[in-house]
Amino acid sequence: MLKPSLLPLVALLAFTASGARAGIPAEQDDCLGCHGSDPSMTMDLPSGEKLPLYVDTARFAQSVHGEMLRCADCHSDKTGYPHHSKPFKSRRDVTVAYYEQCKSCHFANYTKTLDGVHFAVLAKGNQNAALCVDCHGSHDITHPTEPRARISATCAHCHQKESAVYVKSVHGKALAEQNPDVPVCTDCHRAHDIADPRDGKLSMRTPEICGRCHTNAKLMGKYGLSTHVVDTYLADFHGMSASLQRKTKGGPKGMVAAVCTDCHGVHDILSAKDPGSRTVKANLVQTCRKCHPGANENFPAAWLSHYQPSWNKASLVYGVQLFYKFLIPFILGSLALQIALHLWRVVVNR
Amino acid sequence: MAQRVEHLVTIFTFTGLCLTGLPQKFYSKGWAQWMVDHLGGIDQTRWIHRAIGLLFVSATVVHLAGALNALLSRRSGFTMVLNKKDFQDCVLQLRYYLGLTDEHPRYDRFDYKQKWEYWSLFLGNIIMGLSGLMLFFPTVFARVLPGQIIPAAKVAHSNEGLMAFFVIAVWHIYNAHLQPDVFPFDGSIFTGRISRERMLHEHPLELARIEGRAPDTHDGHRGHDAERRVV
Repeated sequence: MLKPSLLPLVALLAFTASGARAGIPAEQDDCLGCHGSDPSMTMDLPSGEKLPLYVDTARFAQSVHGEMLRCADCHSDKTGYPHHSKPFKSRRDVTVAYYEQCKSCHFANYTKTLDGVHFAVLAKGNQNAALCVDCHGSHDITHPTEPRARISATCAHCHQKESAVYVKSVHGKALAEQNPDVPVCTDCHRAHDIADPRDGKLSMRTPEICGRCHTNAKLMGKYGLSTHVVDTYLADFHGMSASLQRKTKGGPKGMVAAVCTDCHGVHDILSAKDPGSRTVKANLVQTCRKCHPGANENFPAAWLSHYQPSWNKASLVYGVQLFYKFLIPFILGSLALQIALHLWRVVVNR
Repeated sequence: MAQRVEHLVTIFTFTGLCLTGLPQKFYSKGWAQWMVDHLGGIDQTRWIHRAIGLLFVSATVVHLAGALNALLSRRSGFTMVLNKKDFQDCVLQLRYYLGLTDEHPRYDRFDYKQKWEYWSLFLGNIIMGLSGLMLFFPTVFARVLPGQIIPAAKVAHSNEGLMAFFVIAVWHIYNAHLQPDVFPFDGSIFTGRISRERMLHEHPLELARIEGRAPDTHDGHRGHDAERRVV
């Protein structure tokens, strides 16, 4: 026995149902009766653009929302027929007006976008800033990370210049070979709360960002890479300076100490063995000169290339380290002992 | 007078260098970050450190020049130079502390502890000054020396600095302030005064010489004696 409230629905379904349609919830409003039948259905906008009004029912049915949402869940202002559209000027106006519909379900991710650079740009009045639907699509939303390479392709729609550089990098090339280990855009930039990379805060975080993978022994083991790149960096002058600059209130003033990307590059990171790499020995002096203009060929040796000093690598540094390792306890121990003996004698004398 | 100024300058520059230098060595610790923050950030901290460092190096150079001048013009002898007696004194002092002998070493103007501290500080200053300049001007030094000298200088600067801090904090503060004979403060460096009792106890040979009781067995003690009045 059907509940009385469902009866009109059943009637609608009976009216619109056809063999091609799978009976998705979207059809319950019968919007698709008009919007799903004529692919050439458009509406003229004052901007001169034509707003497509056709929804590919089969495609929507395959989308992540196909088995879940009714048309009016997103198009909540359309309550009946005939419906009057808001006075939109352009197609972009329509997108901007509707994108906030996502937040009624995806509130957490929507909130994150408020901290993101795209929202900041939008808030300044630039309507070209990426909105939910620009990355995820609208009626055709599928899982955004499948396959993984799709993420970088999504960003590339707008960020073509960066993408062209990235695909030639050690990470981008491996991604093209379906390697799941390498970072895509969102691994470093994040997805919803993308920080503005221009104010330097993101690059200050690179030891942590790069370190997420480059200190992972299992992952690095696969490629024969060292997992000591971060701790050797942090123990060095650059790492120590950058750590302190990052913790300075009000952000660093003046020149910021080199972080990962200053030597290795950003989107164009190459293997340190690649002859084109900025960090390969032949190019290293050029890389140092970016910050140390007076550097000559001797200078790159001042950087221990992420090696920990040992007899074989940087023996001079290792020697000095070892010398003090013995000298400091010896000297301080002797002094403390002499003080103790002195005090003891003073007590005995009394 | 010059020595008093010199000592005051050393106290203030040394303290300043420790305050701005140690937080850089222990940069990952909360207290270090707090200090750096209150000094106006790492960049400002470093400029302060370098400025005081240059003053410290200058003071060392002035001291060295003064000492050489005094030596060459024969106003003063090598009162600070280590000699065989210092090693004998050291052994005897330790035997005395251990209760193996009741004979206390008889010191002249400077005992072996003071000489050790002087030479440690002097050598330390040279190491700190040189390595500090290397870290200040890495590209200049790398032009004439292998690049590896820079990280080696960093290790030396960092360790030598920590050691100097501990030596001063433990040894100097103990000997000049905390030890029972002088507690709470040995002002003789500034006042030029020292009690006869302490002189007899700590520098009997010098006392004898000043009072003309014993023959002047060592060369060249004439220079500074007038400055030290025994009361």
